[in-house]
Amino acid sequence: MSEQIEQVLSQKYDAGFVSDIESETFAVGLDEDVIKRISANKGEPEWLLEWRLHAYRNWLTMEEPDWAHLAYSKIDFQAISYYSSPKSMKDKPKSLDEVDPELLRTYEKLGIPLHEQQMLAGVAVDAVFDSVSVVTTFREKLEEAGVIFCPISEAVHRFPALVKKYLGSVVPRGDNYFAALNSAVFTDGSFVYIPKGVRCPMELSTYFRINEQNTGQFERTLIIAEEQSYVSYLEGCTAPQRDENQLHAAVVELIALDNAQIKYSTVQNWYPGDENGKGGIYNFVTKRGICHTNAKISWTQVETGSAITWKYPSCILKGDNSVGEFYSVALTRAKQQADTGTKMIHLGKNTKSTIISKGISAGNSNNAYRGLVHMGAKADGARNFTECDSLLIGDRCGAHTFPYIESRNPSAIVEHEATTSKVSDEQLFLCKQRGLDAEKAVSMIVNGFCKEVFKELPMEFAVEAGKLLEISLEGSVG
Amino acid sequence: MLKINDLHANVENITILKGLNLEIKPGEVHAIMGPNGAGKSTLGYVLSGREGYDVSAGNVIFNDEMLLDMDIEERAKKGVFLAFQYPVEIPGVSNMEFMKESVNAMRKQHSLEPLTAAEFLKKAKHACAQVQLPLDFLKRGVNEGFSGGEKKRNEIMQMILLEPSLCILDESDSGLDIDALQVVANGVNSQRDGKRSFIVITHYQRLLDFIEPDYVHILANGKIVKSGDATLAKEIEKQGYAFLGLDTSEEPNI
Amino acid sequence: MNQWLQQVIEHGQSCDDWLSPLRAQSLAKLHTMDWPHRRIERWKYTSLNAFDDLTLNRDTAVKTAPPGAIEGLDSIDLVFINGILHTDLKTQVLPKGLRISGLLETPKSEQDVANNIFNKVKPEHHFFGLVNDVLAQDGLIIDIEANTNIAKPIRVVSMSTDKQGSHQRILVRVGANAKVTIIEQEQGDAASVSTCFAEYDIGKEAYVEHYRFAMQSAEAMYFGGCHFSLQDHAQLNSTLIAYGSALSRIDVDIVHNGQYTQAKFNTLYLLGQSEHFDLHSTIEHAMPNGTTEENARGIIGDKAKAVFNGRIHIHRDAQKTRAELNNRNLLLSRRGQVNTKPELEIYADDVQCAHGATIAEIEEDALYYLRSRGIARAEALVMLNFGFIQQLINDIPNKHIAQWLEPKLKSRFVKMQVI
Repeated sequence: MSEQIEQVLSQKYDAGFVSDIESETFAVGLDEDVIKRISANKGEPEWLLEWRLHAYRNWLTMEEPDWAHLAYSKIDFQAISYYSSPKSMKDKPKSLDEVDPELLRTYEKLGIPLHEQQMLAGVAVDAVFDSVSVVTTFREKLEEAGVIFCPISEAVHRFPALVKKYLGSVVPRGDNYFAALNSAVFTDGSFVYIPKGVRCPMELSTYFRINEQNTGQFERTLIIAEEQSYVSYLEGCTAPQRDENQLHAAVVELIALDNAQIKYSTVQNWYPGDENGKGGIYNFVTKRGICHTNAKISWTQVETGSAITWKYPSCILKGDNSVGEFYSVALTRAKQQADTGTKMIHLGKNTKSTIISKGISAGNSNNAYRGLVHMGAKADGARNFTECDSLLIGDRCGAHTFPYIESRNPSAIVEHEATTSKVSDEQLFLCKQRGLDAEKAVSMIVNGFCKEVFKELPMEFAVEAGKLLEISLEGSVG
Repeated sequence: MLKINDLHANVENITILKGLNLEIKPGEVHAIMGPNGAGKSTLGYVLSGREGYDVSAGNVIFNDEMLLDMDIEERAKKGVFLAFQYPVEIPGVSNMEFMKESVNAMRKQHSLEPLTAAEFLKKAKHACAQVQLPLDFLKRGVNEGFSGGEKKRNEIMQMILLEPSLCILDESDSGLDIDALQVVANGVNSQRDGKRSFIVITHYQRLLDFIEPDYVHILANGKIVKSGDATLAKEIEKQGYAFLGLDTSEEPNI
Repeated sequence: MNQWLQQVIEHGQSCDDWLSPLRAQSLAKLHTMDWPHRRIERWKYTSLNAFDDLTLNRDTAVKTAPPGAIEGLDSIDLVFINGILHTDLKTQVLPKGLRISGLLETPKSEQDVANNIFNKVKPEHHFFGLVNDVLAQDGLIIDIEANTNIAKPIRVVSMSTDKQGSHQRILVRVGANAKVTIIEQEQGDAASVSTCFAEYDIGKEAYVEHYRFAMQSAEAMYFGGCHFSLQDHAQLNSTLIAYGSALSRIDVDIVHNGQYTQAKFNTLYLLGQSEHFDLHSTIEHAMPNGTTEENARGIIGDKAKAVFNGRIHIHRDAQKTRAELNNRNLLLSRRGQVNTKPELEIYADDVQCAHGATIAEIEEDALYYLRSRGIARAEALVMLNFGFIQQLINDIPNKHIAQWLEPKLKSRFVKMQVI
């Protein structure tokens, strides 16, 4: 059986091609000058430059965290270029027709043709190509509803008060090593604002893609949902195949004001490196949302890519009766390493959180769930339920669970359960006996294992996620 | 023995009982029927003293004492027994230990010596036999892993052991098949001795075929809207609650 | 460097006995280790600030009487007071196949046994384990010959009094197919630091029933360790009961070094006042076909804090392992705290592993149910609290010990202010 598993594991990375687009890229290295140039290129106001520099100085005093269950050689932050922008962006395209056709073809290869998406899916896409937001579709229709969906670099100019008020309000500049670095050098990202009482008329979507060699991607996303509003946001990530490791250190901040709901879904398929662990994205991401009274934030993620994933989408349940959810599928194979999970910080009364995490390890990979559930002294009547399941495929991988549970309130109830299983020979036998080949059988079993999470994804994403899992598992089965 | 006067009660600031009056004499069996959400279970909880059920007006006199002034356990020791609709599971505390503590609390109330283990066991065996519960149920955790029917029988077993003077049966028939229903009813009937009184709360008339009531009351919108004898229950069975002209659509299900 | 640690090191340097070469390694290690602080993962929830103004006390004079026997239990008693063995081993008549010697006067043959166990079972990352390596002046070497069944339980009692610490080391070799029960009962009223670390080398097909009772007074600071190595088909049944210390930390390691091993490890902690208890357990499955079942239950009242970290590590070769860990807590006070972290680290695919953790309080519904049957609130609370730990009491293989514990534990509830 394990031989067949290996075969499936040797599957090639489909999104691994390089786009030939002229781009303007900074030389490698990081100092205050680089930050000033990033800021100047974007014509940023003085306060934001100061904000960046403050973060940078803070970062210099910090140490790279080493508590995760990850093994990698130290990142040389001076060997990375901190800014890369496709040249044709100098004059911003006003519509899709003005977009560099090569760029559009890149998206097509990725399976997200903007034209088609506009017409068929009705999804507004804010595509981030390397560091600069290329084009935003459906903006007008959204603006009719009062929804703002634009690159954050643009929001800095158009909505400075909002940006100033909320930027860094959930993930402070000095929150952690990678968030501090992001705060210093972030280049672009999405900005979403849903006005009071508005239900965003469509799902908002951003595809991130790292293209340029040696460029780190440091995007910054800020989503503000005013009282009684609702938004569902989709994020897809891919990157071309390169031998070197590329750093990705994003920050996402969500603000759900009273009675608001934010649903944030991610399908992450960055280049995972080759079979021997050469190349691949280092994905160090800080995602966090704050829930005010009766608000709800739901994180759903399907993580199949990256050489290293270090990511803990979290909820601060500040308001009474607020709800946090985390649904995750993380699949690692070859020499991939993932250390991912969530933090649910219960501060308000009757706050509730649910954590469902499904880890699938294959090949020589290591897959860890790491989570924190904190019940604060004032979180009367708070509830958490956590379920972490691991599935091992093959005998050379690792599956790990590190839940931190802290309670300071007797009326809060926390329940955590974790199990480990494998795709059993009996299950495979049954499927084969019913005429399925091994690969189909494993993919079916794995899909079943992940069902609880997939059902949380928006429909189009759920299909995509299932396919992605199937592709990722190809050859990993026997 | 029991007199309920103009009882008003709230749960989480919603008024459930809105001026309920009821008088029960020794030995009588009163059935309380009514649509879902009428406040039937609330009546049982208020009489037994469950926390979270606030009495905003009215009073309850039980054997010349003000019932509502007493703690939960004090009421129990004075003879109020509630057979729960959903008996709670308590793993780790054995049924035996639980009932022994409970029986001896009752005996202490009546200035009787506590039972020895052997004496208790004899009584418990007898009670179990009456509701056809195997003896090993005594060793298991309170209601732990019991089926719905076993839980209901366990409640009646407790009632037989504790010999209360007022038994409140909260939907003791729900979820039971006809055989189990008969066992429960027989257990109850065996305790009818002309002095002990019963409040039988039920949604369906079915239970009353086995436990014949002296009076039937219809509880709706927090009040008793109609009282009669056993024939009233049969009427409900035939025509449903609608014939009373009750609007039951907007009642919270508590 | 911390003044107390400085004194420990000085003491270690001045000590000269047959264990000195081994102690020297631990001294060297202590020199290189950071004084434990909250940013070190294994000390994340336990602060050692209480050591700031502490000095090392080493007066071993006797000032107390040992605690009484465990009723109904006919045991071989060995008593330490302030770290020194007060039982005259020469007058003890021991069953055939059992040898017990003290660390102060150790025959050469037993020195060899000790050399093979001392720090061979206990991992070197336990900070206070290293401290005990240095400070344990006295201790015991318990050596059980292969194929012997020691019917009488061996009870090691350790008392510390009058602000004196008690530091001893217990080294146990259980020969193949041997059977033994060992009770480590640690009690004291000292407002000082005590350490006791025990290492068990359990041979093939041997069976060990083990107890550690850490029942200190409110001022005590207690650092303990129980470390077990299991060979093929060996079985361990261990029960740990802890309460009473201002600050206590216990590290447990169970290493399955052979195949078809079985370990059962239960812990109870009942905390009140300002007590702080920290249990770190590590289960290492290095070989195939082993099983582990670990249950830890705690009740936390008043201003007490509980820390639980339970790690199960399944190595690459440990196929067909079954391991389960469960930690359940009742947090019954607004001023109390529970921090729990069950961990799984798994490198073999054909295994069944699970862990769970809960933190909750007494269910209101259960309390109402008991009261509605006439049971007074306080009594109902005792029943519910005890019900919560009942399963672990039932699991205790020795009924005399279970019976001895029951009233002790029930009387704790009053002190803990949970009833």
